[in-house]
Amino acid sequence: MSDFLISWSLFWPSYGAGLVSAALLALIGIWVVARREIFLGAAVSQASTLGIALALSLGAWSEAAWAESEGVTAGLAVAAAVATALVSARGGGHGRESGEGLVAWIFLFAASAPTLLLARSPHGLEEIHRLSFSTLLGAQPVDLALLAAALLASAAAAWRLRDPLLLTALDPETASALGVPRRRLVVGVAVWLGICVGFAMRVSGMLYTFGCLVLPALVARRLARESRPLLWLAPAVALSAALPGFALAHTLDVPPAQMTVTLLCAALVVAWVVSRKRVER
Amino acid sequence: MEAEALFTARGLALGYGEHAVLRDVELSVRSGEFWCWIGPNGSGKSTLLRGFLGLLSPLTGELRVAPRLADHARIGYVPQRSELSDALPTTVRELVELGLVRSAVPRAERAAAVREALAHVGLAEMAARDVWSLSGGQRQRALLARALVRRPELLVLDEPTEGLDVATNDALLETLGALHRKASLTLIVVTHRLEIARERADHVALFVDGRVIAGTRDAVLTGGDAERAFAGGRLALP
Repeated sequence: MSDFLISWSLFWPSYGAGLVSAALLALIGIWVVARREIFLGAAVSQASTLGIALALSLGAWSEAAWAESEGVTAGLAVAAAVATALVSARGGGHGRESGEGLVAWIFLFAASAPTLLLARSPHGLEEIHRLSFSTLLGAQPVDLALLAAALLASAAAAWRLRDPLLLTALDPETASALGVPRRRLVVGVAVWLGICVGFAMRVSGMLYTFGCLVLPALVARRLARESRPLLWLAPAVALSAALPGFALAHTLDVPPAQMTVTLLCAALVVAWVVSRKRVER
Repeated sequence: MEAEALFTARGLALGYGEHAVLRDVELSVRSGEFWCWIGPNGSGKSTLLRGFLGLLSPLTGELRVAPRLADHARIGYVPQRSELSDALPTTVRELVELGLVRSAVPRAERAAAVREALAHVGLAEMAARDVWSLSGGQRQRALLARALVRRPELLVLDEPTEGLDVATNDALLETLGALHRKASLTLIVVTHRLEIARERADHVALFVDGRVIAGTRDAVLTGGDAERAFAGGRLALP
């Protein structure tokens, strides 16, 4: 453990970004879980990988340094994630593909295309593998600052809009009937989801992003009796898994993202048992 | 003196895209009236409801809403039970509290409004219960409490008796009747069931073949249009 504490001085931007993105994704993930759009979380994360792959392949083809800059890579990652979230928010309709079908298409396309785009670029392929593998290492202080700002903004918005958001998730028809601007709310959250997932993906990769997006909210949902406490409980669950996850990973010399996600999976099993016992009582 | 009109439709056509589900709707809902909207599935009841609630724009014609209802703060709405998602944990109290979203009830009175609404539907003792541990009838009463907590002037219920047993159905209709009489609440009940219109409502809107025949209960239910609709088996007989 003391070794882990010593490593903070070297890896604090990575640890910090990992913890803050865990809390941020857990908070936004409540909406994803509440609207039964769990697979959307995977598709949005995967789409931002495609955005990053596009930036890298643009750089490889044009040989322009700006194309592979942090700004362009982050911009395309966020743009791809936002586009996916918006397409899914639009949903299906008569004569159109269902929202679920669209999400599946985006996920599969975004999972295949990056490898094809970067098949002849060893550096690009390595980056895509890093994102898929979720290394968490390599975050910069600016990443931590951006994620912290996103967390604060999300927490403030969630606190202010909690009841309209919860009512929209629980009973969208009634929310509209009571004057909640449902469409604007759904599109706004979709855009914000895309921005946050796009940022988090660059720092923490696919597995960690998707895991922190859905697992803490699923755990919190089983433990809480009401919806409002989920707003603090889901981030608390995420941090309770991420912090020991990083420490254990350091001690055992294994990847921290995988360790954290495994702990979250274990927490969900415990939450299932607790919830079951409560129902039986 | 005639009561104030809350909603007035004149030559109204409503639908989706270019397709009109309802045409030439002439209807005026006045303060204190008890309306039943009856018609078969797909006859346009929900479409007109969406139009009244501002969720659907008229294709043609005019739809006027009383200015004080325009922000929806004094409208209570009870959806079909199937609309409620079980994706989040929710107690009865929280469900009712969520009904205060964009309501006109002052913040200082909200806790009392929740208690009153729960007591009104007989669920005060079940406030801490999970909504999904309730029976169908109890859940319907919880949804009614969520609508009442707004202290509405207009209460809209979409198929409120669907799936309820006879006793629960009667109790719910009794509660609605009492609300109408004592609180002078304006009620719109959307239903398949003719007996609700016959026994409870003072006004009826009959949805047949894309048209709405609206007026006082006796005028509508004794007319030939109503007989044709029921004879065709398109509505549920009592």
